[in-house]
Amino acid sequence: MTRMYVDAWDPSYGASYEGGDGGEGPGSSSSAQVDLDVEVPAAEWAPIDVSPRTRMPDVVFLVDGVRRNDAGLWTAEEDGTSYAGLAASYAAGVVRCDLANGIAELAGARVARGLFTASPTATDVQAGSVRYEVHRIHGTGEASKLPAAVQGPLTALEIEISAAARDGGSDGADLLIVDGPLRNRRQLPRTIGYVKTQQKHYLPAAQEAIVPRLRPSQRTPVFHLGTVWGGWSWYLRLPGSSGAPWSGVVRVECSPDLTADQAIELAEVSGVTLPRFASSAYKDPRAPQNLVPIAGLERRLRGMLGDARVLHRALALATARSR
Amino acid sequence: MIRVSDETVPVRGGKLNANPDVDPVGRVLGTADATPLQFWTAVTPGNYLQLDDVVVTKRDLPDREPVTIAGVVTQVRARHEGAQFDSDVFAIADGTLPAMVQEAAEITTTRVDPELYVPPAPGAVVHRASGAARDAALHFDRMERRVPMGTGRDGVPVFLNADFLDGTRGAHVSISGISGVATKTSFATFLLYSVFRSGQLGADGTNARALIFNVKGEDLLFLDHPNTKLDDSTRAAYKLLDLPAGPFSDVRVYAPPRAGDSSGSPDVSSRLTGVDSFYWTLEEFCSAKLLPYVFADADDERQQYTMVVHSVTAHLNRFAVPAEGGISIDGRRINSYGDLVDHIVEQLTDDETRSTWAGSAINMGTVNAFARRLIGSKRDLARLIRGDLASRRPHQIKTANSAQVTVVDLHNLPDRAQRFVVGVTLKTEFEEKEKSGTGRPLLFVVLDELNKYAPREGSSPIKEVLLDIAERGRSLGVILIGAQQTASEVERRIVTNSAIRVVGRLDPAEASRPEYGFLPPAMRQRALLARPGTMFVNQPDIPVPLCVEFPFPAWATRKSESGPPPAETMRSIVQGADPFAVVGSGGGSDDDIPF
Repeated sequence: MTRMYVDAWDPSYGASYEGGDGGEGPGSSSSAQVDLDVEVPAAEWAPIDVSPRTRMPDVVFLVDGVRRNDAGLWTAEEDGTSYAGLAASYAAGVVRCDLANGIAELAGARVARGLFTASPTATDVQAGSVRYEVHRIHGTGEASKLPAAVQGPLTALEIEISAAARDGGSDGADLLIVDGPLRNRRQLPRTIGYVKTQQKHYLPAAQEAIVPRLRPSQRTPVFHLGTVWGGWSWYLRLPGSSGAPWSGVVRVECSPDLTADQAIELAEVSGVTLPRFASSAYKDPRAPQNLVPIAGLERRLRGMLGDARVLHRALALATARSR
Repeated sequence: MIRVSDETVPVRGGKLNANPDVDPVGRVLGTADATPLQFWTAVTPGNYLQLDDVVVTKRDLPDREPVTIAGVVTQVRARHEGAQFDSDVFAIADGTLPAMVQEAAEITTTRVDPELYVPPAPGAVVHRASGAARDAALHFDRMERRVPMGTGRDGVPVFLNADFLDGTRGAHVSISGISGVATKTSFATFLLYSVFRSGQLGADGTNARALIFNVKGEDLLFLDHPNTKLDDSTRAAYKLLDLPAGPFSDVRVYAPPRAGDSSGSPDVSSRLTGVDSFYWTLEEFCSAKLLPYVFADADDERQQYTMVVHSVTAHLNRFAVPAEGGISIDGRRINSYGDLVDHIVEQLTDDETRSTWAGSAINMGTVNAFARRLIGSKRDLARLIRGDLASRRPHQIKTANSAQVTVVDLHNLPDRAQRFVVGVTLKTEFEEKEKSGTGRPLLFVVLDELNKYAPREGSSPIKEVLLDIAERGRSLGVILIGAQQTASEVERRIVTNSAIRVVGRLDPAEASRPEYGFLPPAMRQRALLARPGTMFVNQPDIPVPLCVEFPFPAWATRKSESGPPPAETMRSIVQGADPFAVVGSGGGSDDDIPF
């Protein structure tokens, strides 16, 4: 009889992994060149326990961003055509978790608002006390493509805030965790990217079979991805998963500029650090992958975005007045 | 009386803001309704507000001057913002979940100036009030005569409006609280001290008299002795209130005669000097119609024999003839209360004389009930009603001829005798005042256990006197400072006539009664935890009760802490009476040695 598991994620977020064939692994296969012999020879792959010698960093920074669509707009051009527009608010912030002193605080946060449209004539919109800056996008600018356009500026904001995270001082042993793939943040020191959803197969079947066998806090050996945004990567299972083969599994990556030894060291550190931040299912619809500080940060950032109804009304008023 | 010195010394002081104008303490909240009478303030991180702090904020209005809204903190709360679940507190303390601690304070408005009841604007800066702003917030600036009654939680003096104490606009003080920790009597004596020594009442304050009944222990017998345990911090507290730190200056102490002692020496054990004994002669007992006060229990009044009491009283008044200290009645010489009782009982049981004493329509059962009670009173009252001591010897309690403070010691007396003394003394004093027809000098009467003397149910001669004082005393200058454990058990008319209501530590069941409706809910809860030395004072012209800490007594409250007695009490080592008064009276009293 097939065993069944209920995914811990709220359905509105999608599944924690999006499998194509009966829920037995990530969906599409990756064409990336994978080097499996980094830490141990490919044939000897097995779950790796946390080394007792690894110390958890005293200070951990976590970076994340949130976004919200405030209003959909339509422009009326001189020539009678019309373009879709999207007014969105987005924010990025960084939490500084001082685990030694038990203080988690918002080390920095930035809120921005943008009007995303392909209209060549659109200008900034002043809605009440806030200003939506125009971000002109190329192409035809269908309404369905606009939400994706917000991701660019948000990632830029996240990068900006990540770089500023350590402005307040660093003890040289701290760790910066970025929500999502590292992408162009690879130049930041001691930084790992934290990928919650597994959409691609990176490992050959023999090695991928190791992943469901991971127990909480265990990880796979480090492997190397040869793609553009590739780098050193490994899988890790967080505690508090439902028991389904891939539940609670995250993929962690770090900059390809590091040496293999440095990457393995970071993998060890992530093994002691991340499980401590894992959330529990009744508190977070994306448990355990959505880390507790990230969830707190997102709540704070959403609070900073302002009230959606107030902004929607202000936008409606501002656009009505400009007619 | 409460043994104050046994209790921990109350912590004095509080945070005084050095420069309130540049140090805003918070901003008016916008997430809760701000109303003209109550609003919430978010406290600036790194700052704090505590209960009873006085704050002030401004509201700008178009077309007119800004409104100043002042209030008192009646509730404070702190919470984690950004936490959703109770268990999040562990993640926050662990350093994994970012959250903010935010404190907020509920402000109850005490004053709006000018009187435009607009809510403060959310986001408006709230300052701690000090100096003139604080005085205005608490209405002290409108008080012409302010009697200091202690310090607020912020360590700054708080005042009582003398208009509501001396009868100008109101009178009487009602103090409630649990015995032992509420320090009711200490507060009453401190209030008296403040009236006498602050100079706020002018000549009225200097000339005022006080009559204090000491019902528990001998604590109040040392009012004129300096307190040797007085320390610098207490002296500083007195100085802050503009009061000298010293004992009461002019005190006279009366104690009942020692039981079974034919010389009538006062029955006190700790205070040996400056104590006079008080008693009533049989002649006074008969002529002043004091017999009803022997039956002053509330359930006495419900009995049938009240009629007998009144006719016997009338009979004694009409036929008793003074004779050498004692009396002579029906041709018989009576020299003691016991003899008088025996004689009355004998006459009442005799069929021939009964009708002349008690009237004709009295049945034997009623007479027997009366006789039983009367005989029962012999043991209690024999030492107070005397026929064997010289009538010329000063023995009466009369505040007009006594010192500024007259202390009547009752603690050694049984219940019936206590009622007799309180009832007769108050009646005499009140009648004196009625006769003089003037409200001055003021007479403050301090009476503990008011629920015993003026219970809510039933009636008794003492209750009648106390009601008279409560209702007419204000115009006659008789101010009742009544104390009780439970205001709910005291006659309602006495409590409602009290302009000033004071509450110390309360019993939880008692605190929920309507008599304490003047306390806001938060304060009512606090009254359950009030420490000795902390009182909540409600006066008519301030809409919120004030939390007051009054200083440790500067006078001794017990033998062990009393300093040297004042010089004027030394004469009583020789005897209680002034020898020259006896000599000068010119009476050829042979049986009284003048020295």
